[in-house]
Amino acid sequence: MKPRTSSPHSRIFYCLCFFLFIALRLLAFQDMLTKYLPKSGEAENWKREGEPQYFEGEALYEYIDGGAEIYHEYGFKHVTVQDYVNPTGKSVSVEIFEMTNSESAYGIYTFKTHKAGRKLSIGGDAQLADYYLNFWKGNILVTLTGFDETSETRDGLLLLAKGIDAKLDLSGNRPQIVSHLPAENFVSQSMKYFKGILGLRNSHPFFALNIWAFEEGVKADYIEGYSVFFLRFKGSDQSFSQYEQLKKSYAEHPEYKVHKTSNTEIFTALDNRERRFFVSVHGTSIFLVLGDINHIQALQIFQKIQEEIGD
Amino acid sequence: MDHKIGRREFFKRSAQIGFSTALSFGFTSLAEAKVSLSGGENVDICVATGSDYYASTIKAVECLGGMKKFVPKDAKVALLPNSQSRHPGTFTKPEVVQAVIEMCKEAGAKEVNCLTLLKRENWEASGLAAAVDEAGATMKFVESEEVNFKSVPVPEGKAMKEVMIMKEFYNNDVFIDMPITKDHAGNKFTGTQKNLMGLNYRTNNRLFHRQDWQTNPKSIEHLDQCIVDLNKVVKPTLCIVDATEFITTNGPFGPGELAKPQKIVTGVDRVAIDAYCTTLWGLKGEDIYMIKLGSEQGLGEIDLKKVKIKEIKA
Repeated sequence: MKPRTSSPHSRIFYCLCFFLFIALRLLAFQDMLTKYLPKSGEAENWKREGEPQYFEGEALYEYIDGGAEIYHEYGFKHVTVQDYVNPTGKSVSVEIFEMTNSESAYGIYTFKTHKAGRKLSIGGDAQLADYYLNFWKGNILVTLTGFDETSETRDGLLLLAKGIDAKLDLSGNRPQIVSHLPAENFVSQSMKYFKGILGLRNSHPFFALNIWAFEEGVKADYIEGYSVFFLRFKGSDQSFSQYEQLKKSYAEHPEYKVHKTSNTEIFTALDNRERRFFVSVHGTSIFLVLGDINHIQALQIFQKIQEEIGD
Repeated sequence: MDHKIGRREFFKRSAQIGFSTALSFGFTSLAEAKVSLSGGENVDICVATGSDYYASTIKAVECLGGMKKFVPKDAKVALLPNSQSRHPGTFTKPEVVQAVIEMCKEAGAKEVNCLTLLKRENWEASGLAAAVDEAGATMKFVESEEVNFKSVPVPEGKAMKEVMIMKEFYNNDVFIDMPITKDHAGNKFTGTQKNLMGLNYRTNNRLFHRQDWQTNPKSIEHLDQCIVDLNKVVKPTLCIVDATEFITTNGPFGPGELAKPQKIVTGVDRVAIDAYCTTLWGLKGEDIYMIKLGSEQGLGEIDLKKVKIKEIKA
């Protein structure tokens, strides 16, 4: 049978349809985010300045040159950026990121915030720092940046954030793994949720050498001066092989001193600054405690987490 | 190659002013990196502290012997400030750039050129464009097209055997690396070494980031090695680091937690300068794999006990 070939006209038609589809898709995505931006007059005297910018998928590298990877690690879809100004010339930049799901939005929120910020009741969690504000809600992360630390700018950040929050008719929960860490003596806003190696490596230089092919992880600080990490793997094969890999890499590394213990499923080491850490593997999980803590306390923490996850 | 002056001639001229320098290939020995002050004192790094960043910049360069030591008369000078983002603590401050341009001109520079792969909007948003215009330097906006870049072999490269440096760079005689030190999600720290990615073709820079970086930690180490390889073939005449106010989280783009040591750090030894800058936010040079690799591969001295640091108040 003779194969059917399309005429030049139909090829042009298909091409036009394709480009139209792409353009409409882009506009639809853009609209999905710009609808959350307060219009001029909706946030007192803060007005939009210029047109919103829009970046989707890999195009994020154009906006965040050299720093887009962490967003992709957590699961980035697209972002819109809009500037606002007030009559005295103060400016605020608003970025609305749509992430793949609420866990991703929560994760990048924990990556971008720190313990010293002021906790706010906006969205799922919110924090105001010296000159910027972050909050997450559903699968959305909102970052507002002022360009000075004056109260006028900070008031603007709050006004605009509340305006966006009111437009975001979304909900979503924090990842379940977050609830498994001990709540007692937890340092407020110290939680970090990881979806990959960049987030983890940025949480502490301790992780600079190791392979951690985990599914998700979480870290929190405690007032006694230690941090607890909990990493979950796809299966116990992976968690045990990572544990063995970890032991091997630290045993071979000149800057770490590994302490042998009778228990094969816990090991202790000291780094070159005499910082102590304990590591344990259990089922599909690896637990780690780092800091000012002794062996017995570390074991108690590991047991608490195991009870909590019910493995 | 588009060098305005030959390598041999340039070294000869540099030797005449007591300093070996420049847009050359190969390693800077640590002996070369040490700067002789007029009184016979040797110093590796100068650090000027103060709230007037323009004045601190001038003091930190004077402490090394002044700009004339690095910029010969009638030289064409390339500056590479960081203008990646407009968020506070993420870009080299305009007053620092302005002070450097003015010092270069006073030293007798024929041209001062600010090189960038970014667009004018980036420079305007951070206030850098106005500072450059006011100080009388020229912006060189290099379009990210292959034709604007030159393939440069990296004979000692471990991860990269070739980099792609902007041709415009080679139209200059002197290169001043002007990063802001700050956090970087990719490898935790950015400073003198990582800033050089701002001269390299974006497509080539993307090779620094392997496709499997999300699952293979070796790919993150690959980034550090690529940066070190790039530094083997591009050597700054002088480094002037903005460590006045910078982000220590959520880098390189910000916004993030700000540290405000109010310091300008100058010198030639990139590893030593980067190692010093890590200490300004509670780290050590050894914590940063890129700095360790740079030290191991001969780019400079990581052990700050062996580095002569001169601290001054501005």
